[in-house]
Amino acid sequence: MRNRLLLKKGALTGWCFIAIPTLLIFFFSFYPMVQAFMMSLQSGTGIGLSFSGLANYRRLFSDQTFLAATKNTLTFLCFQVPIMVILAMFFSVLLNNRALKLKGVFRTIIFLPAVTSLVAYSMVFKSLFANNGVINGILLRLSLVSEPIAFFSSPFWAKVIIVLAITWRWTGYNMIFFLSALQNVDPSIYEAARIDGASPLKQFFNITIPMLKPVILFSAVTSTIGTLQLFDEPMNLTQGGPGNATFTISQYIYNLSFRYTPDFGYASAVSYAIVVMVIFFSFIQFKVGGDDT
Amino acid sequence: MKKVSLFLVIFVLGVLAGCGSESSTSGSDAKETSEGQEITIWAWDPKFNIAAFDLAESYYQEDHPDFSINVTEISQQDSVQKMNTIFSSGGTQGLPNIVLIEDFRIRNFLEVFPEYFVPLTDYINVEDFMDYKIEVSSVDGEQYGMPFDSGVAGVYLRKSIIEESGLAITDFHDISWQTFNTLGMQVKEATGKPLFSIDMNDLAHLRMMMHSSGYWYTTEDGETPFIDGNPSLKQGFEDLKMMLDSGVITTHNGWDQLLAGFNSGDVAGVLQGNWITPSVKSEDSHSGDWVVVPVPKQENIDTSVHATNLGGSSIYVLDIDGKEEALHYISEVFGKNIAFYEELVQTVGAIGSYIPAAEGEAYKATDPFFDNQPIYQDFVTWATEIPSVNFGKNTYALEDIMNPVFLDYVNGADLAEGLKNAQAIAENQLN
Repeated sequence: MRNRLLLKKGALTGWCFIAIPTLLIFFFSFYPMVQAFMMSLQSGTGIGLSFSGLANYRRLFSDQTFLAATKNTLTFLCFQVPIMVILAMFFSVLLNNRALKLKGVFRTIIFLPAVTSLVAYSMVFKSLFANNGVINGILLRLSLVSEPIAFFSSPFWAKVIIVLAITWRWTGYNMIFFLSALQNVDPSIYEAARIDGASPLKQFFNITIPMLKPVILFSAVTSTIGTLQLFDEPMNLTQGGPGNATFTISQYIYNLSFRYTPDFGYASAVSYAIVVMVIFFSFIQFKVGGDDT
Repeated sequence: MKKVSLFLVIFVLGVLAGCGSESSTSGSDAKETSEGQEITIWAWDPKFNIAAFDLAESYYQEDHPDFSINVTEISQQDSVQKMNTIFSSGGTQGLPNIVLIEDFRIRNFLEVFPEYFVPLTDYINVEDFMDYKIEVSSVDGEQYGMPFDSGVAGVYLRKSIIEESGLAITDFHDISWQTFNTLGMQVKEATGKPLFSIDMNDLAHLRMMMHSSGYWYTTEDGETPFIDGNPSLKQGFEDLKMMLDSGVITTHNGWDQLLAGFNSGDVAGVLQGNWITPSVKSEDSHSGDWVVVPVPKQENIDTSVHATNLGGSSIYVLDIDGKEEALHYISEVFGKNIAFYEELVQTVGAIGSYIPAAEGEAYKATDPFFDNQPIYQDFVTWATEIPSVNFGKNTYALEDIMNPVFLDYVNGADLAEGLKNAQAIAENQLN
């Protein structure tokens, strides 16, 4: 009798505690989502919005700027996410070595970029890759190029710099997840494999990767979502330039809302386009990543 | 139980702290001191615009000692985005009393959010100001903006470099861009230096060329995109590519690189609005070696003149508490005070758009930095020739469409097709 009462009281307390965050999530996440969808069905400038049905969504398909932005975002996605996940795995395997000295130092160094101020490192990157910056200086001195590469004026190099910046920033962050997963792996498995004569490479592919599958999936999905919403780096490093070369979808939303004449209805429609893309990619990755997650 | 109560206490404190800090930042930005009103102003460029407001404050304080201003330095981009945000929210919290807005940006605000701006009709005598500045900020006969600096442009050149190439400064007067290119090639061959630099991310020079011919990205109504079939735009593209290919002009990335180019002497000149003068003068070793010549005109375009504008802004009063004080401050100093404009040009180097002041002595002064050329007089003369253009409210959006077209063209793409494409995109996007 007493136990059941205690259980009921416990359950009630539990519900009360959950109620607050639930309400917060509802008001600050779900309600705005629904409102944004309602707004995407309207059009007009500034606050003079009127219902227009699916006009905004139809406009998406013929909007060249949106298509260019989508192309750029997907390019970043295809290159940056695999590179970063592989690098993060690589570093985590290296740092998981028991015999390595100064592990803490290395981990801090690799993780530090994730906590640096975005604006600060953008300025540093800009000056590093400037026409008369350090990178060009090194390249010239080593005679690898005959004249400085205009990193920010070249569509190709500007994209490379963005990918570089994102990778530099987030590899450490993802590496931590891999590291913690690796530490849950029983070292005796590796010992057994070594005794059986498996090379380190074979060990990596046949033991490490399967054990890390859930974390790889997690990393890939969150990085995909993050890269699809990419805004900070293009905005601060290249302002979407040169021309449209590093223009992303989130930047387009920002421009539509605040830089041009505000068109919130269309901006909401573009943001729902991102939602669709996120769902699509996450779905694929879950399918590929296996059903046991 | 102890842990739970501890957690609850911390949680409640946190919530209270959060609530507490919110309530202390409410209220409008205009503060009222015990004696008079403090007016808030948003402007950029401490050496130019903000210096002008400070100077105006000292003039106004002669009759109104209780008056004071609080200028927030904020870039035009940021200020536009902030205003868009606040206007879109429907409220007025966070707005300044007075805001400086670039001329080609204002129509957006006047047409979409007119209720936020106070008409200056009774506080300004429009005939006293240059036409093209007045028309920019007038809607349906109501005047909303007090014209501020004239962004009248000129080609600044280093005399010694020109003469070293075997040319005379007078060779650069009253020419077309074609001739400019030929002369520039001579300079490049003799000295290896380009005549000026452009920023590939910003079509400022294209805007200058179009403005000199009375054209813009839109037709006269400011709404209809006029890209395909726009002779001035096409000519501008072709002239810029011609000069880039021949090496007469080079590229820079950002403000600092622009200044570094001509201040270091790597670039023989600069083509910008006259607000570049303080930056040109910052390099003391070049004193006496700079001159300013009129901008070349576009060949084949009948309406093209040797005068154009880049930038330039006007002052607007927002409809919040303190607008009467702000209106008086603006109209009494910027609207009427000749002595203010004279001191403005002497100390700040800003050329106002107030015509009566332009006839004063200060504007006739010769500048030793510019080889004793009376540059202010020259600028004012050119300013009166600048054609009026309706910038419309979509200039930023149109520029973003045109920029990739320009880059592709410079890299070898077909111009006609690019323009036709851009026209379609613009019509689609700006409905």
